[in-house]
Amino acid sequence: MSSVIERDPAPPPQGDGPRTPAAAARRPGRVAILGNPNAGKSTLFNRLTGLRQKVGNYPGVTVEKKTGATVLPSGRRVEVLDLPGSYSLQPGSPDETIVRDVLLGLQGDTPPPDVIVFVVDATHLERHLYLLLQVRELGRPMVLALNMMDDARARGLRVESAELERELGLPVVEMSAARGEGLDRLRALLDRDIEPPALPLRRWPAHIERVVHRLEARLPRIPALPERGRFDLALALLMDDGDDEVLARAAPPDVLEDARLLARRLDHAWPGWRSDHVEGRYEIIHEIARRALPVPGETRDVVRERIDRVLTHRVFGPILFLLIMGTIFQSIFAWAAPLMDLMDLGISRLAALTASVMPAGPLRSMLVDGVMAGVGTTLVFVPQIAILFLFISVLEDSGYMARAAFIMDRLMARVGLSGRAFIPLLSSFACAIPGIMATRTIDSRRDRFATIMIAPFMSCSARLPVYALLIGAFVPNVWVGFVTLPGLTLFSLYVLGVAAAILLAAVLKRTVLRGGKPLYVMELPPYRMPSLRSVLLTVRERSLLFVRKAGTVILAVSVVLWFLASYPRGGPGVEALETRAAAAEAAGDEAAAGALRQEIAGLSLEHSFAGRVGRAIEPAIEPLGFDWRIGIGLLTSFAAREVMVSTMATVFHLGDADENSRTLRERLREEVDPDTGRRTYTALVGVSLMVFFALACQCMSTVAVVRRETNSWRWPIAMLVVMNAMAWLASFAVYQGGRMLGLGS
Amino acid sequence: MSEVAASPTLDRLGPDESGRIARMGGDPTVVRRLMELGLVPGTRVRVVRRAPFGDPIELEVRGVHLSLRRSEARLIHVERD
Repeated sequence: MSSVIERDPAPPPQGDGPRTPAAAARRPGRVAILGNPNAGKSTLFNRLTGLRQKVGNYPGVTVEKKTGATVLPSGRRVEVLDLPGSYSLQPGSPDETIVRDVLLGLQGDTPPPDVIVFVVDATHLERHLYLLLQVRELGRPMVLALNMMDDARARGLRVESAELERELGLPVVEMSAARGEGLDRLRALLDRDIEPPALPLRRWPAHIERVVHRLEARLPRIPALPERGRFDLALALLMDDGDDEVLARAAPPDVLEDARLLARRLDHAWPGWRSDHVEGRYEIIHEIARRALPVPGETRDVVRERIDRVLTHRVFGPILFLLIMGTIFQSIFAWAAPLMDLMDLGISRLAALTASVMPAGPLRSMLVDGVMAGVGTTLVFVPQIAILFLFISVLEDSGYMARAAFIMDRLMARVGLSGRAFIPLLSSFACAIPGIMATRTIDSRRDRFATIMIAPFMSCSARLPVYALLIGAFVPNVWVGFVTLPGLTLFSLYVLGVAAAILLAAVLKRTVLRGGKPLYVMELPPYRMPSLRSVLLTVRERSLLFVRKAGTVILAVSVVLWFLASYPRGGPGVEALETRAAAAEAAGDEAAAGALRQEIAGLSLEHSFAGRVGRAIEPAIEPLGFDWRIGIGLLTSFAAREVMVSTMATVFHLGDADENSRTLRERLREEVDPDTGRRTYTALVGVSLMVFFALACQCMSTVAVVRRETNSWRWPIAMLVVMNAMAWLASFAVYQGGRMLGLGS
Repeated sequence: MSEVAASPTLDRLGPDESGRIARMGGDPTVVRRLMELGLVPGTRVRVVRRAPFGDPIELEVRGVHLSLRRSEARLIHVERD
């Protein structure tokens, strides 16, 4: 046993830089917080940085980069980086890849930190020490933050931090980030010069080490790579299965080829060499834990057992789960409505005010109908996003989210997804925007992207006004068994969306999102009381991110759509109508003037680029039973699906009619095609249009948020193409099939 | 047959049954990953419960609770206590 543990009392400083007087000036400027998931990293990060946080993405990937700053007792400001939670430096997820890349200096935009603050949960010391040993082998200056000491004490667990300090050769700070205990001690420690740890506690077997050294010698110079990190990079190359893009770029092809060859030889000569070392590390950990925890204390978590007995119970578990989901769904669907109305009202007041103080003209029109409409569209999502993330962060921080995934995993596995996909998909029935944002709780990149791609198929609340208008116009209110036909129609549209989602998920998981070695191992963390502070920070962060990142795209598209619907101005006969409207107004005949204005709006839209687009795409949508006026609606509803209703009202010269307007419904029903003398919109057209709305991706906000969440334009464009193609085909099948059955009259 | 009886795989253990990990078999990357999470040969594991719909299962190992799909638990051979 003792031969395994190798300690070198005085390591000659090599490469880590001699301690010159200049060292004081080089005191840590960049601190990284690192640890297992559920160690309390984010809580510590929030405590250290407060509101001075920046959230962005690491370039090219979807992993979030959180940075902030904190002020040390000396008055020095240091940058703090919150690295994603990680179990191992041999990455198993995009998050873990980023951690390795940052520590090995392979992440171009993020140089390795000067000091690592390694956070462990004192109540789960053994498990959390695994990553610590791995990271310690890199030989970077490091501090151990022994977190959740309050929990440990409450459980009668005595942790000998002095013993840990001696065993690991690292400064240790006892703390409770949730309560803010130990923060000052941590800050004071960071103010000092921190020595890098001595040599690794466990060396690799000589025969493996020789191979690694051979590969190491062939590596190119990587300036950001710490001296001892070269060994780990060579090791990572040996262990890689060949699908790690970052590693593939870290070394020239011939070195990569060699690495593969050497790995194969090792596999042949010492099968199990990859995992033997894991066992060795755990042997050391066991030793250290035995010394640091002299009294084992109460290892059983009584609270957890009691709660889990109910929450994951065979019968009550699913019932409680449904109740919780129902509450979440109800609140984003209904409770957000008053807040959304308030936002709407605010924006329209502002628009009216602008309209009243500015002279009429293109600038006013652009501000009111383009910019403010775009701002309004963005802000209207904020209440839903805020409410959903309020729930999600409470569920996540309390530990329930993992139980929800535990319960739902079996059902979601049938579609090739994980249990964590359930909440994002459920939320998408209210609105795909918060739903897609909620997919970040899914660890596997492939599963996450599949979930993002199918989320917009869940019938969202913006489709409801369109359904209401069309059902009201075309579906007779009769009873079919114990339901009404309109109700059944609405239900079928929801089912249609879910069916399309299942189909697309199955296809994606068998094609572009196939492969990898999906592991669904997941930790079921202890239950903890969520902190209000963390929850509110998350809500604020998510809302701001949406407004900043997706809002800009939404605003730009709104202005483009405004332009298309407003230019070129005029149109045949519009001028004459304007004169008549002005005359009617002067004569005090408000009714006549209003009717004329509605006619002007209709003619102008028809004459605009949007109108021309509508006509231009008519041949493409004619097989679905749509005419050019619906074509205009399909274009303008890209701003938001419900805009379809007001566009139809404008096209039919009805002013501001809404989906419950009887006149609009009648107009749709009774519109006659002047060429054929038959009705333009039959019930079959109505059904075809509803099917189209159920499946099409007609929402610029969704596109914008997918762009932000996947960090590329590839996925949102693929989404547009795939969903709209599916919508076209389904509507085509409905309309042409219906006509063949003689339903088209 | 007798080998199966001697060291069943972890998915065969019922709720609240425990054992010691004897060996692991399967894809080396998957096995290494499971080991890094603490499922190392020689370690004691306890099956805490099955999920309400039968899969996955909850394990306790080194004071940590993990959820594993049964297809993953099948890679781990245990000696029943």
